[in-house]
Amino acid sequence: MKKTLLLLSLAALGIGSACAADPAKINWSNISVVKVPLFYPGQSTYEWLRSDAHKGAAKEVKRGDACMSCHDEDGAEKDIGNKIVKGGPLEPMPVAGKSGYKELKVQAAYDDKNAYLRFQWPTDNAYPGSEHQYLRFDGKEWKVSGYPKLDKVVQEGKQPGIYEDRMSVMIDDGKVAGFAQQGCWQSCHDGQRDNPKQFTKEEVAANPLLTAIKKGDVRKYLPDTRTDPSDWKTGKTVEEIAKLKAAGYFVDLIQWRAHRSHAVGMADDGYVLEWRLGDAGKDVFGGNADAKTHAPKFMWDAKKVGYKSITADQLRKGDHFLIREQNAVPFDPNAGWKEGDMIPDYLTSREDAKGSAADNNAIASWKDSMWTVVLIRPLGLTNDDDKALKEGGVYNVGFAVHDDNITTRGHQISFVKTLGLGVKKDAKVDINAVKLP
Amino acid sequence: MRLIPPSSKKFAPIMISVAMAAMFSVSANVLAAEVDADAAIALAKKNNCFKCHAIDKTKKGPAYKKIAAKYKGKADGEDKLIKNFTTGPKVKLEDGTEEDHKVIDTKDLKELKNLAQWILSQ
Repeated sequence: MKKTLLLLSLAALGIGSACAADPAKINWSNISVVKVPLFYPGQSTYEWLRSDAHKGAAKEVKRGDACMSCHDEDGAEKDIGNKIVKGGPLEPMPVAGKSGYKELKVQAAYDDKNAYLRFQWPTDNAYPGSEHQYLRFDGKEWKVSGYPKLDKVVQEGKQPGIYEDRMSVMIDDGKVAGFAQQGCWQSCHDGQRDNPKQFTKEEVAANPLLTAIKKGDVRKYLPDTRTDPSDWKTGKTVEEIAKLKAAGYFVDLIQWRAHRSHAVGMADDGYVLEWRLGDAGKDVFGGNADAKTHAPKFMWDAKKVGYKSITADQLRKGDHFLIREQNAVPFDPNAGWKEGDMIPDYLTSREDAKGSAADNNAIASWKDSMWTVVLIRPLGLTNDDDKALKEGGVYNVGFAVHDDNITTRGHQISFVKTLGLGVKKDAKVDINAVKLP
Repeated sequence: MRLIPPSSKKFAPIMISVAMAAMFSVSANVLAAEVDADAAIALAKKNNCFKCHAIDKTKKGPAYKKIAAKYKGKADGEDKLIKNFTTGPKVKLEDGTEEDHKVIDTKDLKELKNLAQWILSQ
């Protein structure tokens, strides 16, 4: 995606107005860099942390002690990540060559309108992970092609590893008990996708909460949404969970996606409560496969981009984004499709993104095996699924990077940190956003 | 506060002090001046010692500075430390509970003495 297009998109939304900085022109060299260690956690779930396998620490975790009350020595994250990523009890399906550790550089600023969070991290690959799964024509049908590297089909060489890079930020405003001490681990549980004791479809279909909220799998959840926090099956009622949400018991989850949101200069906006949920409105991306035929709903507009599909030899060569308002046209089933033709499995659209789900923008670039992403988050949001950032506020945050064609547990993550927006010097925070002139 | 293991060079003044104290200790078999700080820290990290101990703050277990203050210069200081991390005795934690101390995964006396002296040099 060309940077100019992104800037035009952002300008169109008024981000460059008088009371807000032009995010492309912020002088980041004047803003201090905080280096946040990220490490590979494998299957170190909420339940594992409380088990005897977490040697000598189960009692402390159950008591609510902070992870860093033990893991605070120099190089702790690097040691843990490099050990887990190689495979063992916490990583049953190691990915060859994957980094156990990454250094995330974080800078933060704000003005009267927005908060600006700038992230930089190295990628394992010498290409940006900006491609995502495709629909591939096999001569008869369109089938998904490309899967995350933790999937068996990729590890067995039956499918290519194709999955977008991601940068995620989880935000708590102090209303989620335990998050200030144990961060993202409050949301990572046994039973979830790619975690121990992974759900079965039958279990999900029989679960009152998941059927009530119409979900077909188990994803991140916060402890108080279950009567037994360590058992995903013990969901509270929808009414009880609504009360938790109204009381602010949820964490915001902003995810910048190198394919599905980067294409139009956005980051998606969600939250974690009883599941990993999207904010109200319409997200920046949606599936491109027809629910019945599994054929694409849109294809590239050959008049604009010169092709209606690509083939495998064109992967990693150019930006392969399918953007509804820019380069997509309705799929033509009679366009002479050949075996091996590929069309993105997801369609992106800034124009279609609406409501609270469309709050977050981003500017991103990849150069010399390094992503640079600036998240732009409006201050003072009043939606009931957002954590409102305000000047003087202090927030507990967790960071995660998904790198090298992977999802779920295949990320590198941080211990919980504190983010302040212009807090006074005597207030101790890990990252203090500075007010822009 | 992050625990930053001191480098051997930064450590020199402390080691000199410990060396002077060791001159008056009949059982200080390894002179502090000979402490290989990097090796001691590596052994401690390998055995997750820093999960419970820090150099200058109380964690689950006491700070190494506190341990050093208790045993430094005592004839049996080194022996007591080695016994502590090779036999796994019951130890009282800072929260008042008790548990078995971790047993270091080496029987190399030279390594054990080096670790003990490094702790005593804090």
